[in-house]
Amino acid sequence: MKASPAGRRGSKPKSPATKPLAGPSGKIHPVVIYPFRQPGDDTDLKELYQLVARLNREKDIYSRPITVIDRKTHYANEGNKQYLGFRKNTVARHSDILDVWAVDTCQMWYSGLGLAFERGGQQDVYWLIPGDFNYGTAMGREVLSRLHDLPEICLELQQDLCIGEIATDHNNSKQLIDTYGTFALLYNWFPVEAQAIRSYTERPRSEFFAVRHGFLHEVFRQRWYAYEQTVVMLLHAVFSDKRISRFLVGNISDLPEGRESIASAMQQVERTERVLKTLWRHRHQSKPGWAGEYRVLDSQSEQVRRTALLILQNLLG
Amino acid sequence: MNLNRYGAQQTLRAVSFICNAPQAQSVSLVGDFNHWNPTANPMKQMPDKAWAVMVELKHGHHRYAFLVDGQLTLDPRGQGITRNDKNERVSLIPVS
Repeated sequence: MKASPAGRRGSKPKSPATKPLAGPSGKIHPVVIYPFRQPGDDTDLKELYQLVARLNREKDIYSRPITVIDRKTHYANEGNKQYLGFRKNTVARHSDILDVWAVDTCQMWYSGLGLAFERGGQQDVYWLIPGDFNYGTAMGREVLSRLHDLPEICLELQQDLCIGEIATDHNNSKQLIDTYGTFALLYNWFPVEAQAIRSYTERPRSEFFAVRHGFLHEVFRQRWYAYEQTVVMLLHAVFSDKRISRFLVGNISDLPEGRESIASAMQQVERTERVLKTLWRHRHQSKPGWAGEYRVLDSQSEQVRRTALLILQNLLG
Repeated sequence: MNLNRYGAQQTLRAVSFICNAPQAQSVSLVGDFNHWNPTANPMKQMPDKAWAVMVELKHGHHRYAFLVDGQLTLDPRGQGITRNDKNERVSLIPVS
């Protein structure tokens, strides 16, 4: 079953130059997370910042974009003329640079979304754009042309959270981590919510999302984690019955610099488990008898994690 | 919330919907654009047994679903998933 503009097979991507339907009282705040490792070839970054430049020009729709750069990235490239030139002539020209010391990417999100939030208002929407994807390829350009749909869906359809999903093959490392790690652990710690999340998306750790002001405010009042924050936001959205959408932004792979090794895959599964455990305790520690229930779930969780790591080792190792 | 901010959203674009339900007796297209009215956009069965209809939609994002023998059905090829006002899962389509 499919829906497509007449005369085409598959739906036609909107041009990034197409005027979105942002509300007169709602602005879109783009927040770009600059890659932790400066790529040797800046084709992908140049393509991304062509989009950022367009957003920066559309001042009635978008607020001034924000680019978050980790100070470690900056200091690692102090002598890199390509980085310094790109930072000065492109990044700073089309966006406000927010230099942060961050323990992980999700802390960069926290800083960037936090600054945007302080600039924003009740009707606004915040749009996270990860910088470390292959936007310079044909498929990457296709993705860039669709990303703007995420905040527009939040605005037009009054959604609280819109997750951008990237289609990958079943053997893609991210897919494997989500199938055998993320969802398996979610089903242990939050079985009801996990089913609700999976009814929307297969990629609960997606870095592509847009979030409405009110919901971001609620999430900011909760504990923010250094990693796997999308999973946490999805859980909070399900806990409080928020309006969630999922939108397919394309089919892309990470840059070679960002591809998962087995060690990285293991780390991601372990982090997910740690976050879910902490969140579960946070929500249940005021209830009598919670410690006993926690011990049972923790024991099961260890089995789930061990199985996930064994499978990932067999498939990625 | 399609706001009259630009002229673009006033432009209608013909969009074709295809539902592969060969055994169905009746299929219709429902969505925000026809107020989820099951009789507004009936689909027609094609020689290959797929059901098709073409509708004109405004620029923006639209929620929709197929009503297959009275049952609300997601478009498996739809670009997105959301919920309608009755909290039922429905599909999303962007129209440029």
